Amino acid sequence: MAGRRNKDKVQVSFRVLQGIILVGFFIMFARIFHLQILDYETYSPLSMQNSLRMEVVNPARGLILDRHGTIIAENQPIYSITITPAKFRMENLSKLATFLQMDEQIVLNRIQLAQNYSWHRTSRLFTEVPFEVFSDIQENLWQLPGIGHQIESKRHYPAGVNASHVLGYLREASREDLLRFDHLRMGDRLGKSGLESVYDDYLRGESGTQYVRVNAFGQALDSYGTGDLNIEPTKGADLITTLDADLQALAETLMENKRGGLVAIDPQTGGILSMVSAPQYDLSKLAGRMDLDYWRSLNSDPNTPLYNRAISSRQPPGSTFKPFMGLVGLHIGLITPELQIYNPGAYYRGRAYRDLADPGNYDLERAIAKSSNTYFFWMMDRIASRGNLNTWASLISDFGMGPLNNIDLPFERTGIIPDSTYMNRTFGERRWSIGDLMSLGVGQGMVSVSPLQMAVAVSVLANGGYRVQPHLVSAVKEPNGDIKYVSPVLHKIDWLKPEYMETVNSGMKQALLEGGSRYFGYIPGIEIAGKTGTAQNPHGENHGWFIAFAPADDPQIAVAVLAENSGFGSVSATPIASLLIEQYLTGETTRPHIYDHVINFQPRIRTVVQTEEED
Amino acid sequence: MHDKREFSWYVIFLWIGLFSVGLVAIYSATQGPVSQFLPAHIQGNFTRQVIWIAISIVVLISFQFVSPRAFQGLSYLFYAVCLILAVVTVFVGIEVGGGRRWLNIFGFRLQISEFLKLATVLAVANYLTHRRNLSANNLKTALVTVLIILVPAVVIIMQNDTGTALVLLVLIPVVLFWSGLPYDLSLFIVSPAIIGYFSIIDIKLGLIAALFIAVAIFLLQKQVWLTTTSIVVGLVVVLGFEVGLQHILQPHQRARIEAFVNPSLDPQGAGWNVLQAKTAIGSGGLQGKGFMEGTQTQLRFLPEQWTDFIFCVIGEEFGFIGSSIVLLLFALLLLRLLKMAAHHKHPFAQLVFIGVIFIYFAHFVVNVGSATALLPIMGVPLPFVSYGGSAFLANTMMLAICLNLYYNKRSFSIYR
Repeated sequence: MAGRRNKDKVQVSFRVLQGIILVGFFIMFARIFHLQILDYETYSPLSMQNSLRMEVVNPARGLILDRHGTIIAENQPIYSITITPAKFRMENLSKLATFLQMDEQIVLNRIQLAQNYSWHRTSRLFTEVPFEVFSDIQENLWQLPGIGHQIESKRHYPAGVNASHVLGYLREASREDLLRFDHLRMGDRLGKSGLESVYDDYLRGESGTQYVRVNAFGQALDSYGTGDLNIEPTKGADLITTLDADLQALAETLMENKRGGLVAIDPQTGGILSMVSAPQYDLSKLAGRMDLDYWRSLNSDPNTPLYNRAISSRQPPGSTFKPFMGLVGLHIGLITPELQIYNPGAYYRGRAYRDLADPGNYDLERAIAKSSNTYFFWMMDRIASRGNLNTWASLISDFGMGPLNNIDLPFERTGIIPDSTYMNRTFGERRWSIGDLMSLGVGQGMVSVSPLQMAVAVSVLANGGYRVQPHLVSAVKEPNGDIKYVSPVLHKIDWLKPEYMETVNSGMKQALLEGGSRYFGYIPGIEIAGKTGTAQNPHGENHGWFIAFAPADDPQIAVAVLAENSGFGSVSATPIASLLIEQYLTGETTRPHIYDHVINFQPRIRTVVQTEEED
Repeated sequence: MHDKREFSWYVIFLWIGLFSVGLVAIYSATQGPVSQFLPAHIQGNFTRQVIWIAISIVVLISFQFVSPRAFQGLSYLFYAVCLILAVVTVFVGIEVGGGRRWLNIFGFRLQISEFLKLATVLAVANYLTHRRNLSANNLKTALVTVLIILVPAVVIIMQNDTGTALVLLVLIPVVLFWSGLPYDLSLFIVSPAIIGYFSIIDIKLGLIAALFIAVAIFLLQKQVWLTTTSIVVGLVVVLGFEVGLQHILQPHQRARIEAFVNPSLDPQGAGWNVLQAKTAIGSGGLQGKGFMEGTQTQLRFLPEQWTDFIFCVIGEEFGFIGSSIVLLLFALLLLRLLKMAAHHKHPFAQLVFIGVIFIYFAHFVVNVGSATALLPIMGVPLPFVSYGGSAFLANTMMLAICLNLYYNKRSFSIYR
């Protein structure tokens, strides 16, 4: 009885335990069915994200070449450390600082900056770290979750051409830039001045992405799969400029320790051969990680090195204005090439306007060659008293003096060619008279221009009456090999007659043979047409000007040089232009005494009063 | 007589099937591309496992030549020796990862707790062989039984191996139930575990579970006092877990439990293992990513993937098909052993079978439950599949004893 009941009970117990086991297995089976079949779509992408990391591949920035294909700006590798703030653990801060060999506070500041930008996007923590630091961190990445590394590039200038104001510098995108442009990530650099800024869209290229397999420690292992998912970065387009690297290098050397600007231009096309604004700054110090001390010193320097004098300064052109006055006079019928005007040593109109040229009779050609003031005061007197000021201003503007020339550089400024509107605004309605206009005839007073404007104007004389469009980039070479040419527009100035031009140009040729610029300007075997000028400077030493083109009968180069606070243009500006012309036409300079004169020339700069140009 | 003996080749084939799957998974988890991230001693795990399996085969065969009565006769001695060694381990064991679990014996690193499980099964079986028909009125036997199991469990907890201790504790309700403890009382003693489990997930679920169990206990035997007690105990458990979670547990333990309840709260921290394990299994899909192709496994996203998380390796690389096969092998093995137990006439043999089955079953549930986030991660190996020499040997010894007892079931019965 008891045994039987016992046996039944064993059977029941057996069934119960069997039931428990079956239920257990059923639950587990249901669970794996749930995870692997029903939720597969959830977990499959999760495991992909886990093991894959998308990395941005920075494109190589486009190169900048000179007209002969010489590379003047290229890229050099630099090493960066990146951070993804959400993944970084703050307790690793001191470890990270040790690897970086930096102060903990500095590192912390950068991390906070990155956090402010985005917790989840990867930012550059430090760029241009030394290679040893870079490789140290690379090896220890597994200890530093959230930290990454990246090889990038910075600008390098291999041709010995600095061209600071032409090429411009790159800077890290500011907060505003980041908000404005979607393609930028924190730490991306973009052109902030010069060609780097104007052509940033071309030079930048398109960043690519690559997928790398990573393990649980965030170590990148290798590229994912066959790399089908990767998008190659598109290299930036190369800029082929109109610069001549050798000429530019010489021009930079000649302008060292001076203040001013020069523009050398191909008068047939408007292509800029060389452009210097002095003082220059060292682009290589602004490439890569910015040298902050240097940057601050540039910004606080009273000589304003960041300011591009070649296209933005406003100075009276002085006597270099005379050839253009002559052309205007001929056109409006005020003078003829044959008309002679006597210079008694000064022109009298209310008061005496001094003339340093020898007393005697001057026709236009001689007035230009010898730079007689009387001839041009006489002209300006008649223009002003007959109410032709606005006609005069408009005709002068046709040469490119005054208005913007729309060169492909930022921060170009207009000059001033005063007309009645301008005079009214400056002096008040009808509160000005002929006395205020007289000095305009000799390029003094309110009339003011930049070296670029003078270069455009002298090109008109050189190319037979065409207003050129000054430009620095002649072609953009896409990474696929396509070349887009920039076609410069030549605008014929209708009222300029060849016979007028001949008279003026022969006066300028004479100037180099017998005028004040003979000594420093003359180049054996090359005929130059040129004109010196000296801008009166009420604040200090006068500014020297020189404009020229050569060879006179087949002009290939036109130059305008402004040497601030250097006294007579014939001594300061002329030798610079002369050396540049010789270099460009012959490929060398053969007059060491003139070269040494320029190098050792000491302008008398009184910096305290030079504030008016900084607006 | 002799020709009526049957050796269960079926069980042997299931055993071979399980350890073969284990070898494949261990190979992938330690010799695959992942090996570059693993220290050298881990890379040797596969070879060591092969050696341990070889040793275990020899042991399994030699156990078949032992008289079945020897297991019963020597059970207390074996139990005592293992318990002493386990205590010794607590003090002079090899320290790995915050716990002393291994003892160096003749150059072998042995995990005594694995053998202690076997010893406990044998000792309990021996003790209960002549004490069937437990009842609520005769609690002395039950208490001694609990003590035989509780003492080694406490020692194992002192080795900082809560998972294994928990597995051992599962024996208590199972053997008591098998020995005739009334159903209502049996349910009552497992009720704290069930109520506790639901309380961790949600306090409301805990209360509902307590209510259901109380109703079930009443329906089973209509014992009013036990029903009342169960309600009180149920409430105490719910409140106790609530208070314990907040105030008594160490922060890392609490983090582990919170990670189980809601792993996405701290995916990089405590929830990491849970999420990575689920992701590994889930991303395996139907067919899996292929042998040594699992990204979670090979890129080192899984912790302890050769032992506690071996099921994730199988799930990821061989998919639903692979993990179902493992489940099936286990289910067939356990159900077959249970059937063998039911057919055996000797109470000692039955108790050994039941003990062994539920040791395996508890391991299986806790291991797969941890890997699939049904349970908090407790870190126990999957029998025959996970890497671990002592565990494999001890588990094989349990199987070998079962096979022996079954093979000799007739002759053994005579000496009852």
